[in-house]
Amino acid sequence: MNSQRIRLWDLPTRLFHWLLVLCVATALVSGQIGGKLIELHGKIGLVIVGLLTFRLVWGFIGSTYSRFAQFFPTMAKIRAYRKGEWRGVGHNPMGALSVFGLIFLITVQVLSGLFANDDISFVGPLYGLIGKSLSDRLTGIHELFSNAVIALVVLHVGAIVFYVRVRKQNLVRPMLTGWKDDESGESAKGGSLIALVFALMVAGATLYGASGIWLPELPPAAVETPRW
Amino acid sequence: MKFKFLLALLTITVAGSATAQVKFEDAIKFRQSGYGFMAWNMQRIKANVEGAYNKEEVIKAANVIQAIANSGMGALYVPGSDKGTGWEATRAKPAIFTDKEGVGKVAMAFNREANEMAKVAATGDAAAVKEQLGKLGGTCKGCHDDFKAKK
Repeated sequence: MNSQRIRLWDLPTRLFHWLLVLCVATALVSGQIGGKLIELHGKIGLVIVGLLTFRLVWGFIGSTYSRFAQFFPTMAKIRAYRKGEWRGVGHNPMGALSVFGLIFLITVQVLSGLFANDDISFVGPLYGLIGKSLSDRLTGIHELFSNAVIALVVLHVGAIVFYVRVRKQNLVRPMLTGWKDDESGESAKGGSLIALVFALMVAGATLYGASGIWLPELPPAAVETPRW
Repeated sequence: MKFKFLLALLTITVAGSATAQVKFEDAIKFRQSGYGFMAWNMQRIKANVEGAYNKEEVIKAANVIQAIANSGMGALYVPGSDKGTGWEATRAKPAIFTDKEGVGKVAMAFNREANEMAKVAATGDAAAVKEQLGKLGGTCKGCHDDFKAKK
C-alpha cells in the first residue's frame, strides 16, 4: 500500500478560496437584506474584486494545480471523465467547469455592482462614470445574476457533499491543508514568493481602480442651507 | 362616403386612446417626480450623517420625505397606469393594483418610518438619524422589492 501524499493546493489558493466563501456568503445575505447592510455589501464587493483579480493572475503564475492551463476542461477531458477514464490530479473536468463557472458569474456580479444603485441613496463606487439609465440596467443584471450565483453555490456545495459521501473522496481536507493523501502524482511546483507579490500588486491596483477613490470629488452637499 | 366615415372613426379611436395615454402620462410623471425628489432628500440626509452634520438641512430633508410620504400618492396609481410613460417608462408592477393588502402594508411601514425620521431629525442627534435612515431606506426597499419592476 502506497501511502504517499502530495502538495496539491498552495496556501494562496486555499486562502483565496475560503476568503471568497466568507465574502460571497456575506454579500448574498447583506444584498438580500439591504437597508443598513447595503454599505457593507458594497465594501465586500470591493474585497471580492481584489480576490478575483488575485485568482485570475495566480491562474497563470501560481503553482501547478492552480494554473488554469493545467485543469482547463476540454471536451475530450470531459468525455473521458464521463466514461470514468480521467486520470489526473487536481480539479477534475467537472470541478473545473464549476471553477470557471463561478469565476465568470461572480465577475459579472462585481462588475455590474460597481455601477449599480438602489434607487434610494446608495450607489456603487463607479456610478459617477455613467448615467442613471445605464446604471439601472446594470443593477437589473446584478439582481438577476445573484440568483444564478446562489444556484451555482448550492450546486457546488452539493457536489462536494456527493464526492465526500458517495465517491468517498474528501475534497475539503486538501482545500484546508493543501495535502492530498493516497496520491502518487507530482507535488505542486512553482508559485514563488515573487509570483505571489506580483499577483497581490495587480489585485491591489485593480482594487484601487474599482474603489473609485480616483474619481473627481462631487461638489459637497451644501452646509449652508440656502434661504430659498 | 363610406371611406370618409371609416376615416373619421379611425381618427376618433386613435385620438381617444391617445387621450387615455396622456391622462396616465401625467399621473406617472407626478409619482416619478415624487420618488425622485425623495431620493435627493435621502441622499442629503446620508451626506449629513457621513460628513459634516447640519441640523437644519436634515430637518428640511426629513420634512420633505414625510410630506411626500403622507401626500396620498396612492391616488396617482390610476388603474391601467402600469403601462405608460411619464418621464420614463413606468416600472410599477401590475401587482400594485391587485395586491391591496400588500401595498397597504408597505405603504404604512413607509409612512411610519418617514414620520419617525422627521421626529428624530428635529432632535439633531446625528447617530439616531443615521440609524433611522437605515430603517427608512429599508421601507423604500420593501415596496420596491414587491412592486417595482427590475430593468
